[in-house]
Amino acid sequence: MPRRMATAGVVCLLATLLGAMIVPAALATTQPLGGTTEPDEGLMIDNFDPETGKRIIPNERCLTCHGDEQQKTDVRDDGSPVTIFVHSKQIENSVHGSQQCTSCHVTIDRVPHRKAPAVVVGCVECHRETWEQHKDDPDGEYARLAVVNEQIDSYMQSIHAQPNALDQSHTNATCYDCHDGHNVGELGSIQRSEFRLKNPQVCGRCHEEALDEYRTSDHGKAVLEEGDSEAAVCSDCHSTHEIAPTETDKAQLAITQHCGDCHQEAQRTYFDSYHGQVHRLGYTEAAKCHDCHGGHLVKSEDDPTSEIHANNRLENCRNCHENANKNFLSFWPHGDANDPENYPDLWAFKVFMETLIFAVMGFFWIHVLLWLYREVMDRRQGKGFNEDLSKPDLVYYRRFPAVWRWIHFLFAVATMTLILTGTTLLFSHTAWAKAVVDFLGGIRMEAIIHRTAAVIWLSIFILHLVLAIRNIRRNRATFEWFGSTSLLPNWKDLQDLKDMFKWFLGFGPRPQFNHWTYWQKFDYWAPFWGAMVIGLSGLVLFMPGITSLVLPGWSFNIANLVHAEEALLAAIFLNSVHFFNVHFRPERFPMSTAIFTGVIPIDEFKHDHRLEYDRLVENGELEKHLVQRPSRRASLAASFITTVLIMAGLALLTLVLIGLVTAPS
Amino acid sequence: MTPLNRRTFIQAAGGGAALATLGFPSLVLGAARRVVVVGGGVGGCTAAKYLRKLAPDIAVTLIESKPAYTSCFMSNEVLSGDRTLQSLTFGYDGLRGYGVEVIEDSVVGIDPERKRVQTAGGSRFDYDACIVSPGVGFKWDAIEGYDEQIANQSIPHAWYAGPQTQLLRNQIESMPEGGHVIIVAPPNPFKCPPGPYERASQIALYCKHHKPRAKITILDAKDAFSKQGLYIEGWTKLYGYGTDDSMIQWVSAAQGGAIEGLDASTRTLVGLVEDFQGDVVNIIPPQKANAIAFAADLVDGDWCPVDKRTFESTRHQHIYVLGDASSASKMPKSAYAANSQAKVAAAAIAARFQGKEPGDPTFVNTCYSIVGEDFGISVAAVYSLDAETNSIEPIPGSGGVSPANASPEIRKREVSYAHSWFKNVINDMMK
Amino acid sequence: MNSKKTINTQGCNRLLSLLALLALVPFQLSAESARLPAGPSGQALAFTCAGCHGTDGSSVGPSMPAIAGMDPEVFVDAMKAYRQDERNPSIMNRIAKAYTDEQFEAMGWFFASQRLRLFPQPYDPRLAEQGARLHDDYCEKCHENGGRPGDAGTLAGQWMPYLHFTMEDFISGKRKWPRKMQRKVDAAIEEAGGDAIPALVNYYGSQQ
Repeated sequence: MPRRMATAGVVCLLATLLGAMIVPAALATTQPLGGTTEPDEGLMIDNFDPETGKRIIPNERCLTCHGDEQQKTDVRDDGSPVTIFVHSKQIENSVHGSQQCTSCHVTIDRVPHRKAPAVVVGCVECHRETWEQHKDDPDGEYARLAVVNEQIDSYMQSIHAQPNALDQSHTNATCYDCHDGHNVGELGSIQRSEFRLKNPQVCGRCHEEALDEYRTSDHGKAVLEEGDSEAAVCSDCHSTHEIAPTETDKAQLAITQHCGDCHQEAQRTYFDSYHGQVHRLGYTEAAKCHDCHGGHLVKSEDDPTSEIHANNRLENCRNCHENANKNFLSFWPHGDANDPENYPDLWAFKVFMETLIFAVMGFFWIHVLLWLYREVMDRRQGKGFNEDLSKPDLVYYRRFPAVWRWIHFLFAVATMTLILTGTTLLFSHTAWAKAVVDFLGGIRMEAIIHRTAAVIWLSIFILHLVLAIRNIRRNRATFEWFGSTSLLPNWKDLQDLKDMFKWFLGFGPRPQFNHWTYWQKFDYWAPFWGAMVIGLSGLVLFMPGITSLVLPGWSFNIANLVHAEEALLAAIFLNSVHFFNVHFRPERFPMSTAIFTGVIPIDEFKHDHRLEYDRLVENGELEKHLVQRPSRRASLAASFITTVLIMAGLALLTLVLIGLVTAPS
Repeated sequence: MTPLNRRTFIQAAGGGAALATLGFPSLVLGAARRVVVVGGGVGGCTAAKYLRKLAPDIAVTLIESKPAYTSCFMSNEVLSGDRTLQSLTFGYDGLRGYGVEVIEDSVVGIDPERKRVQTAGGSRFDYDACIVSPGVGFKWDAIEGYDEQIANQSIPHAWYAGPQTQLLRNQIESMPEGGHVIIVAPPNPFKCPPGPYERASQIALYCKHHKPRAKITILDAKDAFSKQGLYIEGWTKLYGYGTDDSMIQWVSAAQGGAIEGLDASTRTLVGLVEDFQGDVVNIIPPQKANAIAFAADLVDGDWCPVDKRTFESTRHQHIYVLGDASSASKMPKSAYAANSQAKVAAAAIAARFQGKEPGDPTFVNTCYSIVGEDFGISVAAVYSLDAETNSIEPIPGSGGVSPANASPEIRKREVSYAHSWFKNVINDMMK
Repeated sequence: MNSKKTINTQGCNRLLSLLALLALVPFQLSAESARLPAGPSGQALAFTCAGCHGTDGSSVGPSMPAIAGMDPEVFVDAMKAYRQDERNPSIMNRIAKAYTDEQFEAMGWFFASQRLRLFPQPYDPRLAEQGARLHDDYCEKCHENGGRPGDAGTLAGQWMPYLHFTMEDFISGKRKWPRKMQRKVDAAIEEAGGDAIPALVNYYGSQQ
């Protein structure tokens, strides 16, 4: 029985195969007589997609009407004419050449169209889906779609993708308003350069006024009249897809940035200028390229209609500086301190300032390194000054009265604030600068902070001058201008310096000092000088209207330069050399809190200011300078404040160094 | 428009492919299924052709006593002279082209137990399914004095197109001017309900041109008839109906139109109220299923009851009764109805041979009548099965007759539609 | 969007389904009815049309249009128009009212799956030649390939009396013009006068 079933199975299989062969033959016998059958070119149902049931409309069918060169127009149902022609060769050569018309024109389901067809094309969806499907393809055939999708993302964020204010059913502009979908060329193709030259007209379909202005500009003439595809078209400045409303910071920053794609030198010098520095940080009210050069109307300065023509310049400045006077005209908007030919004065100031910086820093960093070397070497040999921590001094020397301690504290905080806010401008190219500006609440807030700190800082400087003068007057009977307690440098300082170097190098003993060592005097006079320079230049920049009454325009360039360079010098010097001298050399490490407690241990005083100590002992005056050890609470508070300030200073130094290293050349 | 459901269609086709390949029972078992068709009229021919179209593996044998088919529909045009009998006659070669075996013989009996058909010629045909489409027979005893011999010789019924049709045509032609033609219309149900009235119309069309004073009287066993309004509209327009001078008169049963007897020698018809004498008399007798249906025990009363999903006889399994002989209410007894029923039966048989349930049936009837020159009218109906009552019901809101008082252009077009309809029905049944 | 990137595979699918269909024409129908239990199959519905439109829609009656190989959407449009009495009444107005949209679609698919058989009909060669020129100038864009079956219906080889009826209905306003058609027909009549319609009809009738 099972065997018979198996046989039956085989027979069934054979019979089935036989059946498959017989069926067509059997069919043939049932063909009716008479009539001519349609040729074997397929059945009507072959014109429909078996999956979706949708009609398959071959491109040739569309081109029957839309590709007819003889009849490029048709009339709408209301009788109005409409261009229906599409260039089939163009399509074939475009990136969409292998697409079906209906792949994009998805609403077309009948040909001839039963209703007036609406152009409904979903570029975004298709490009996204296609990229999703093919992004991992090894052949990279669809690689370009990565860029396309980035552009789409940009577009979706742009003003063009927003609903139109007058007709919310449409976006302001969509893909095919700008792209001719039938004629999108491959990279490097002729279509692309043609498309580029057509860009102004394409944008001008909506932005008519802008196009009219652009036509008269140097850019416009080059593109539209000379066909120069290298000259700027709309999208070069406004970007292609990430288009923001021109009144927004985003757009203005982007446009300024884009000018530099071609005008690199102009952009570099602009960003070096005060306008450029604050603009780059987001202060878009500051003069930008197009504010002075006229955006769409940009023309060379020889053109009498140009906004930067000599005759029009003052008017141009007055767009922002309402009361600008003639002195503004001598301002160098693109002043370049590296260009001795055109800007010798600026160059000279820069050379002077940089020489100063290199000289001061070079000298003192060597001083620091040698000192460090010596103290380390001495310590290795068990020599040098060592505080005995197990037996802390009970007797302290009172070195700073409260008023100076306050002045130093406020001055330090104000200086750091100024460095932080000021260097964001100087290093506006850095990411940290932008982060700091954001943290502080924006460039406008930062400007307020900087100016506030500057006022405090200058006030303290002046207060200190008043106090110093008063002290000198009060002690004028005994005060010796070059005596042991005076801050004025004297020959002994020079001798001390020599002896220090000898000591550093092991050729002599450590010199003994008076009340002020030479480095302490330098620590005083350097900021003194800095305060003068920075303060004066800062005032010039602070009040351009008033200072321009007496100073020529280029003084702003100079002020901007020296303000920055001197601030740089101060920032580096204070946060490195001053910190070392006071806090970081091994004898003092990790810090000295003397400027906040106002006192130092008597042993330390003896060690660092031996001559003064001896003098005081000799005169019997020492007693009145001695005080009790500061309370534990006062010590802790002083340590805390000192730590915070040191940390802040080091952080600033780091930021400054980052800025310097990454500065564009 | 929503995309047509092609996916379902393809899936169904694919499923069909699988089923067809797996369940090729006839080929697999090595024995072709055999269907015997009794009767070469519209029902029989259509069923034979469509069986072969649907399932080429089925062997189909059609048995018909006559060598050629003569169409009854359009045969009234022979009476007006617009058409010859020959133009209504078609051989069976078309069917043979579909692989149908056509046997000229007459069936004398069907053995439902052995599933075997017996012919007068002595042949036997075994079947897996038998289709019986024999048409109508006549109740000769309903009109006293009328019989088949008289019908063949002097007073034709002409209700099968053929020699009697020619005889009637000849009698009308030789009738004297001003002669009187009488048509006796049968009671319901009968084949071709508008037929007697189209016949009157076609005779009137002839007489209008050749014997304008002739009269045509329809003696009817009914008080109403098919397309009555349209006929009366046409007669009024063409033949003066409703006037004293009307060429056509219709006598309803209520008016004494019912006929009980015939004096063949004087061509006098005996009515309940009065007698009628005519120069030419055409009696269409009351009808019932044709004789073979009775012989095969397929009849209940006058007609053959069937399961209307498949048209299989409710009296004997594997026998399907089509067309005029079947009891297919509410479909009329017409050529188009038989054609429609035949396709339902053929599909049901093909499905059953493949081990499947027959699908839901759908039926259409259309019928054109030519009232006169450039005056055609039609009736149409689309039906579905009410399975609970085993009744074929017209789909509400559809069907009906041509609009009343339509434009002459529409009436004229319906004449040409009638002729095209005729060609297509013939084509679909046997070409 | 759906058909865009998969054109090639679709082509293959199409070919395969075509082969499947060709091999299975006799079986697909009962299979379809087995799958679609609700109501008659498209084939069963379409079979009832054959009495007037010829077997599988290849009409032999000159007044009845051939509907085999007809565009299925044109078919459905026509049936809906009849159902809504939007065309000059014929028997079709009464018949179309019996069917649902889905049944129209099922019938449409059936006829679209058939091959059109054309039957010779007498025509006037001179008019046909003139009609060919008129067709090229005014009709070809919609009725492409000389009016072969497509989304603008079936003209090539169509029965001439039927075409005449149709054009009479258009011109007399009893049937709504398809978009743009009136303009084209008017232009053809302007060019060829009273001969325009007979010429076009003879041209279509001449394609046998």
